[in-house]
Amino acid sequence: CPDAQSRCDVLPLANLFDRLIQHSARMHGFSNDLHSQFELYFWPPRNQVGRVSRNCHTSTILTPNGKDNAQRMAQEELTEVILKLLVAWRDPLQHFHQNMAHHHDFSHSSFNKSLEMSNMVRELRKGVQKVVEKMQMLGMMSNSISSVASPEALLPSDGAEWQLMKDYDLLYCFRRDSNKVQNYLKILKCRIVPQHGC
Amino acid sequence: MREVGGMIPLLLLLISTPHTEGTRYSLPGKPALTRCRSPEKETFTCWWEPGSDGGLPTTYALYYRKENSETVHECPDYRTAGKNSCFFNKNDTSIWVNYNITVVATNSLGSTFSDPVDVDVVYIVKPNPPEKVAVTVLEDKGWPFLRVSWEPPHKADTRSGWITLIYELRVKLEKEDEWEVHLAGQQKMFNIFSLRSGGTYLIQVRCKPDHGFWSEWSSTSYTEVPDYFQRERSVWIL
Repeated sequence: CPDAQSRCDVLPLANLFDRLIQHSARMHGFSNDLHSQFELYFWPPRNQVGRVSRNCHTSTILTPNGKDNAQRMAQEELTEVILKLLVAWRDPLQHFHQNMAHHHDFSHSSFNKSLEMSNMVRELRKGVQKVVEKMQMLGMMSNSISSVASPEALLPSDGAEWQLMKDYDLLYCFRRDSNKVQNYLKILKCRIVPQHGC
Repeated sequence: MREVGGMIPLLLLLISTPHTEGTRYSLPGKPALTRCRSPEKETFTCWWEPGSDGGLPTTYALYYRKENSETVHECPDYRTAGKNSCFFNKNDTSIWVNYNITVVATNSLGSTFSDPVDVDVVYIVKPNPPEKVAVTVLEDKGWPFLRVSWEPPHKADTRSGWITLIYELRVKLEKEDEWEVHLAGQQKMFNIFSLRSGGTYLIQVRCKPDHGFWSEWSSTSYTEVPDYFQRERSVWIL
């Protein structure tokens, strides 16, 4: 927010959510693009993708996988799920971007996309934290998300499992997780500011 | 010489085929999963094409295994979506999880398996067309324009944020061949100012989720636009 702090405060919550949602949509878009690039260059024929046993390092994070489950969750819980996912991707995406430098099959734009993704996941996390703080200030959300201030507390306990994953699998998992983040943000928005485009 | 030699096995093959046809019954042909679709990201259906029946009564069963699970389940509902289909209701549908699906055709001689297909419901969403499409002719400074409004398909829960739809509409005069297409974004209303003459206008609307497929077009709305243009031109001639 380039302007004086006071102007940021009046930005309605709905706008903040819209920006986060747009941001997450772009991030997911990048992962989609890169994923199709990988599919072009590497082995997996389309209908056999799932045969590879693919255990995402984020599979220990319990995420609602249906509308009713997502709606049943308290907004604090859902927010925490979003933050957990975003934090869990910070290091793996950085690693993925570094690896992209060694894939000579990929264009400069793919390389840039991987960098963008890595940056976006951080920015998005900061954005979500801002929204949480704002809502806590306005008394719209309880202070139960204590770990907002220290994201490391949200890292999965088995730490660096992702280091054993192949780049393709990392991308596959990120594509899924970034879609989850986008979807959960939309649910949160429609719950908190339902009068704005829901 | 070599080519002539190549003909002989072919001839033998042709002669021998009537013998194999003499066996009247065989295993069922290989079925194929042809399509899976979710209209609202909450339920989904898969369809298959049967192979040849091998001359015997053949039954079909669909089996699926969810990602990271060893348990194989049989299709929960063969009826709801019609012939050669399997319907997964809300309770049987998870998203962000791969379903590994296989169809098995069985007759008294044995079974034939389809190629397995992997499906994540997030990526097979094709909504129903928008509903309650309404068109009104309005005027702006003496010129007519069309105001088109619609509602999302009732099955898609856009209010909760679970699914977001964007819309596209197309319009043409009855006698024209080409449609004029307008992207409306997430709005549920759109004004068309590009009318060139009076007559009957045809309007259709369709929708698409953020990571899915366009719906079919809604059924056509017909709207009569009076001939403002004729009147306007006659003024100029005078």
